[in-house]
Amino acid sequence: MWHWPSLVLLMKAKMLNLPRHFSLKVCGLSLLPLLWLLGLGPATAHADAVSDLASFSIFSKVDLAQLAKGDVKTSHGPPMSNPRFLAVQSCYVALGSSPVQQIEALRRWDATRHRELKVFLHSDLPSNPTAANFEKLKSAPDNASVRSLVAATQKLGPDLQISREEAKKFSAGAGGGGPMPASVVAFWADVLSARTKSFVSGGMSAQPPYDHSGASIRATDEVNGLLREQGKIRNQFSGFLGATGIGRGAGSLKPELYWELLEVDDQGVLTLGASYNRGGAGSTYQSADVSYYASGGYYVALTLYQMWPVTVEGKPSTLVWRGDMISAASLGSLHGVERLGSESVMMKNISKAVTLFRRDTSGGR
Amino acid sequence: MKRFGYRIFIAVCAAASLLFATRGFAEENTSNWFGSLTHVPLEYTAEDTYVGDGDVRRGPNKRVNDFDENDSIVHLIFTPRTSLGVLRFGAEWERFSFGLPDHAALPDTLQSVSLVTGLDMQFSDSIIVRVEGQPGVYDTEFDNLGWDNFNFPFMVGGTYIYSPTLQLILGVSVDVERKYPVIPAAGVRWKMASQWLLDAVLPTPRLEYEMNKDVSLYVGANVKQTSYRVDDDFGTTNGIPRLNHAILTYSEVRTGGGFDWKISPVVTFTGEVGYQPYRNFDFYRAEVRYHQEGGAPYGMISLHGAF
Repeated sequence: MWHWPSLVLLMKAKMLNLPRHFSLKVCGLSLLPLLWLLGLGPATAHADAVSDLASFSIFSKVDLAQLAKGDVKTSHGPPMSNPRFLAVQSCYVALGSSPVQQIEALRRWDATRHRELKVFLHSDLPSNPTAANFEKLKSAPDNASVRSLVAATQKLGPDLQISREEAKKFSAGAGGGGPMPASVVAFWADVLSARTKSFVSGGMSAQPPYDHSGASIRATDEVNGLLREQGKIRNQFSGFLGATGIGRGAGSLKPELYWELLEVDDQGVLTLGASYNRGGAGSTYQSADVSYYASGGYYVALTLYQMWPVTVEGKPSTLVWRGDMISAASLGSLHGVERLGSESVMMKNISKAVTLFRRDTSGGR
Repeated sequence: MKRFGYRIFIAVCAAASLLFATRGFAEENTSNWFGSLTHVPLEYTAEDTYVGDGDVRRGPNKRVNDFDENDSIVHLIFTPRTSLGVLRFGAEWERFSFGLPDHAALPDTLQSVSLVTGLDMQFSDSIIVRVEGQPGVYDTEFDNLGWDNFNFPFMVGGTYIYSPTLQLILGVSVDVERKYPVIPAAGVRWKMASQWLLDAVLPTPRLEYEMNKDVSLYVGANVKQTSYRVDDDFGTTNGIPRLNHAILTYSEVRTGGGFDWKISPVVTFTGEVGYQPYRNFDFYRAEVRYHQEGGAPYGMISLHGAF
């Protein structure tokens, strides 16, 4: 039996466009751009940034000048024993842009402007949301992905990631205008607002499990598993993550909250996310964006950023490291070359998202 | 219809034993001794195909009529992840049995046992390359083995991931004992819609329709070509002395439809029926060739999976 290398890639690419929204949470942050422009910010030497990058990431050797001239560099993360987990790391230089400006640009960036990223709706959330904060659901696009979400909701299908208690709240009512019936909108507005409130009060630990259709999966266990299997990254971000609600109770940092409707593997998926960032020594920055709830497709997704100020071609710039990690049941069924293919797709999608971001922002090339 | 039932039994037993092993490991995991084994990634196949009565012809007059065929395959490949990529290391056994009439100048058995050694490498976010060889013994009855029975066919192939829904495949298969030692091939894998997949890649091009998460239907083909060395006295016995110890390249094409049923995350059952439109026994160095005169229906069952 003689086989050509036919890849059986599970098409989960769209779910891997992880960056969405970034917050600006550090006290006194508004002063930092001014300091930077005046050249008064504490500068980090290139060697420090590059060696710091090498100390915890997959990128052991980086030539800043080369990196600044090229596109984003991506690589798969270290192999992980849990088959549900997948990680990709990337790095690039944002020329002529400081870490603070990068954080601000990420915060402002709107993924919904790019149809290829398949983010249909995005909305910021207050810390105490009501059903009114999910009004946009009524204007969900009429496409196959959204119809599949509606059908799964009305059937309370097994792929729906909700708790048993949440499932009991659904009552099929009359349809409404638009692709999403009023009963479906009301159900999701209730689920999403309740989950947002529990995240604000108790972090990811307070999230109800996905146990509506059998095995109980907790997003907080998944994100902790992802970090546990990447020890160097966990150590690099431990102080920062300890102040967030990611994988634990509510932290001291206040999150920027949002919800989104996007497409994962041809299915419409509703997600809840939170982003944090914090400045460190030498004008470095760390940022985290967690998708702590997803109605399907994946259990949890986490994107971490480390940013260092560097000077390239005489311009103050930023060396950016980005780590994307995801836990999904469907990844567990991938083996061998299928897994390599899935990693490649994830790397490709992250490259695409970063390239679009850089193109959209002044620091892009 | 020779020994078909027997072969089916072997195929199913082989797969069943794998199943049993998997469950055993899972149960033992709690007591830890086999714990690490549950993480040994591997893929397996146990497959059996029966092809009904068909005919072949050599020249205008020499015919071999109404013979059936049985093709059994078992393979087990470990696929651990290494820093270079995904290693592929295992073994494969394949046996063709033909229910030939007496005095047909064709072997009634073609058989191979080979190691599978290969590596899948990720060169970028768009390119994955597989290099794989199958060193082993390619013979008939394994009753008089020598170094001449050893062969090392190999292939190198690359996949270009254009997008999550479209991949292009290019490769080359090398077998120094084959009539055409180097055969290039190209293919495409295109997810046309959420439930439709065109997997036009040799040796098993398919058009698939995903009925649900566990069941897919497909139509497609299976192209087979392998070289074997026949016995030292094969030619003398059959009245063509130049066929003694000769190389035979056996080729066949099956076209049909079937289904994949994912019984569990690690076991998929496949059933397929169709028609075999092409078959060729080619002693190309001795210039003796039997080509298909009449096709035949076939049925295939398979248990396969990975964990």
